[in-house]
Amino acid sequence: MRAPSPTPLLQARAITVRFGGLEAVGNLDMAIGRNAIHGLIGPNGAGKTTVLNVLTGFVRPTEGELVFDGAEIGGIGVNGFARRGLARTFQNIRLFGAMTVLESVLVGAHQRFSANALSLVFGRRAARDAEAAMIARAYELLAFVGLGAEVADRVATTLSYGHQRRVEIARALISSPKLLLLDEPLAGMNAVEKAEIADLVRQVRAQGIAVLLIEHDMQVVRRLCDHLTVLEYGRKLADGPPEEVLADPAVQAAYLGRAR
Amino acid sequence: MDYLGQLLANGLVLGAIYALAAVAFTLVYGVVRLVNFAFGELFMLGAFLTASLMLPEVRLLGTIVPMPGFSLPVAAMGAITLTAALGVLVDRIAYRPLRNAPRLAPLITSIAVSVVLQSLAQTIWGAEELRFPEFYLATLPPVVLFDSIYLSVMDLVVMATALAAMLGLSAFIARSSLGRAMRASAEDQMAATLVGIPVNRVVAAAFAIGSGFAALAGLLYAQTYGFAHSSMGFLPGLKALTAAVLGGIGSIPGAALGGLILGLVEALGSGYLPNGTAWKDAISFVLLVGLLYLRPQGLLGKPELNSAGRGSLLGGASEFGAAWLRTSFAKVDGALARAAAGGPRAALALLALAILVGALVPSDYWLRILTMVVIYGMLASGLNVIVGFAGLLDLGFVAFWAVGSYLTSILFVLVLKDQFGVAPADIWWLLYLNLPLAGLLAAGFAVLLGTPTLRLRGDYLAIMTLGFGEIVRVVAINWMDLTNGPMGIRGIPAPNLFGIALGSPRAQFFFALALAVLVVFAIARLVRSYVGRAWVAIREDEEAAEAMGVPTARYKLYAYAASGFVGGFVGVFYAHSQQYISPLNFSLFENILLLMLVVLGGLGTFVGPFVGALIWIVFLQLALDLPFVQAYPETRFALLGVVLIVLMVFRPQGLAASARVALTMPGARPGARRVKEVA
Ligand SMILES: Nc1ncnc2c1ncn2[C@@H]1O[C@H](COP(=O)(O)OP(=O)(O)OP(=O)(O)O)[C@@H](O)[C@H]1O
Ligand SMILES: [Mg+2]
Repeated sequence: MRAPSPTPLLQARAITVRFGGLEAVGNLDMAIGRNAIHGLIGPNGAGKTTVLNVLTGFVRPTEGELVFDGAEIGGIGVNGFARRGLARTFQNIRLFGAMTVLESVLVGAHQRFSANALSLVFGRRAARDAEAAMIARAYELLAFVGLGAEVADRVATTLSYGHQRRVEIARALISSPKLLLLDEPLAGMNAVEKAEIADLVRQVRAQGIAVLLIEHDMQVVRRLCDHLTVLEYGRKLADGPPEEVLADPAVQAAYLGRAR
Repeated sequence: MDYLGQLLANGLVLGAIYALAAVAFTLVYGVVRLVNFAFGELFMLGAFLTASLMLPEVRLLGTIVPMPGFSLPVAAMGAITLTAALGVLVDRIAYRPLRNAPRLAPLITSIAVSVVLQSLAQTIWGAEELRFPEFYLATLPPVVLFDSIYLSVMDLVVMATALAAMLGLSAFIARSSLGRAMRASAEDQMAATLVGIPVNRVVAAAFAIGSGFAALAGLLYAQTYGFAHSSMGFLPGLKALTAAVLGGIGSIPGAALGGLILGLVEALGSGYLPNGTAWKDAISFVLLVGLLYLRPQGLLGKPELNSAGRGSLLGGASEFGAAWLRTSFAKVDGALARAAAGGPRAALALLALAILVGALVPSDYWLRILTMVVIYGMLASGLNVIVGFAGLLDLGFVAFWAVGSYLTSILFVLVLKDQFGVAPADIWWLLYLNLPLAGLLAAGFAVLLGTPTLRLRGDYLAIMTLGFGEIVRVVAINWMDLTNGPMGIRGIPAPNLFGIALGSPRAQFFFALALAVLVVFAIARLVRSYVGRAWVAIREDEEAAEAMGVPTARYKLYAYAASGFVGGFVGVFYAHSQQYISPLNFSLFENILLLMLVVLGGLGTFVGPFVGALIWIVFLQLALDLPFVQAYPETRFALLGVVLIVLMVFRPQGLAASARVALTMPGARPGARRVKEVA
């Protein structure tokens, strides 16, 4: 008897997204394994961000279904996706203006708080302890993503671009997600920073969190990911281990002259 | 049948006027996505200017000024041209600098512009009505249709004029290049800029035409009712906005349709409903609220207009302004930041100062004024929860305040004293029960009103809450059995504690101060926790907040509830401190005033509402010593409006912005822990 193959963490089945007449994603099947670093690549406008939006509830697919961690998900609002364990960052950084780094990260921990209004107003012990625990966790995560404690009280949007990206990752991680979805986290970074973030992604996976990574840099993708899905015009062009996929002539053709 | 026919005819005349004014809202909204609340005032100015130009002489600023005494058509053309120019000027000064600002900014400025224009009109033309001169057509005998429906010649002129103006505008939009450019930028501003349409010119044209239409509607309205008055634009302005929303804001045929429907519904409602004329204003607002709930895009509109851009007034500091302005703000910032860093010590110092002032101020007169400062500061704090922290513009907040005031007044006076003959002094403790009870009732009410607004954003949210506030006011005026109607409720007992009357101004001040401590403490505890972080996250980027697992709908309702609770809670004390309340206390103007106090002091801060209330109420009194203000007291409100516009353009965060509040629980930081353990 063969051991049953472990079910994937997330399965997207026959996903189609249409915006008016435009088909941004067409009949896409995709499975993200538990503990995988799964790369999603493709030329500009291929539909990568749209896929990520579908997987996090931002965009309701025109057709198709999602199974996450053994259960179908849908119709639970964007916050429901986050509560189930899907945390994301944004291609264009979306930190909350006027909030400090610490506060921004704590917003990500929202679902970990449960004190009611009265215990907050009366400053009950339990409420205070929960807050202290999450603050301590936020400091840990800031260190984990490579930010010193001294940035904690700076307004997040005043940090450098690279640091803002790290804050976004910390904000996503503090909810202890099962799957972290990163939309081009390396964009606009130099080689050193890219290596640091790549390393960070590996450490995230080492903690048992699967990662979906959208990335254009093929060097990084080749070294970092254990599985790749390639999109072109919203359709799946190839799917499999990086070596195999990147050697595929169709994939190379898709990237020729269009790769960054 | 005759009755119905007459009502329909009246409705058509009214509808034609609403339709004209609705075009103003729709045209500007289509091009710049701005609900220009000031159109109500441009409507009023159209009426005043026409009347003035028709008269041989007018009293302006108290002096008799000779006037040309034109006939109605000439005077109307003059008034329309002047108002159109004013509309363009207003856009240039107050709205254009805010084109890329968060939506809240131009919305607040447009409210401020309304206040400025209305106060100026009152200053110039006086507080009394100006009789509208009779045009010779109006002296002709009425036309009789079907033997029984009477229409004056002027009614026919009104309808014909409205029809001609609408057709002219449609032709202009369809045929002329400017009109086509207008439609193009209504479809997509970005694209319009890209293909080289000078957007600013198009916007100016929209404001000119819109203001002209508002003026035309205003002068026809004044002509029909025979007078002009500085506050005459308010209700018709709201109705026209309702009509625009009804038809689908941004759509011109929609505005015409909406205006007609509204005119007819109002005429039929006031003719057939029991006591209909009294309730006719409520009819429009119920229609508005119901429509926004069921079909926010209106009858002919597009759904995407119900959207709001990301970001808030507090997200990024404005970089406008002269160097001296920025340096002086920087000084204020420095002082406030130092004070805020003082944390609880600074708060206690402030409280000690307030106690000292309360104990030492000798005059009852000033104690009463300071009590008002504290009351308005508390109310503004309640409004600040929803506007400042959660970023939702609520123009119906006064309703919660009214709920609290009426609850306690009805119980004490109308029920216990009048029905059961219970002396208020015997049940003094009921006041202390009413405080939280009214808070809860108002909070429940707030959730009830908040729920249908959850799907709305930005401008539509403001309009819907405004509709709710007006409904509550109309109910308070007309539900005689419950509220005593416009006469209000007299003889509300002063606060009393264990038989000790707390009626003296000093006692009242300290009572208010004690409540203020409770209010600020409770709000601060909520804000400095995950709840406050969720609110601010919603304010800054609702979608990103959702993606972080914040159920934004629920937290908006929490914000409504918290703000409603404060409104009801303070309302109870307000009633007992004033000892008399009437629906006039809870007008939209009060809501706007509270909003301005919050903006003045600083949205999203704890001291801001009190700073705003202190500056405004003390100024209101001190300015009375100036001879100019004695002669024209309304100029103070004009000044408030101007200050707000300046603030919005140069300093949208308000004066006390750098008293920015921390959103983490005090004492939960690892640093603070350690200090405590050492100590
Ligand atoms: N909300 C939307 N409405 C209409 N069209 C959209 C929307 N979002 C995306 N699209 C379109 O769908 C297509 C796919 O866009 P998407 O952002 O998913 O591409 P992408 O692969 O992430 O590209 P990039 O590498 O530039 O980030 C594009 O043609 C885009 O214009
Ligand atoms: Mg993308």
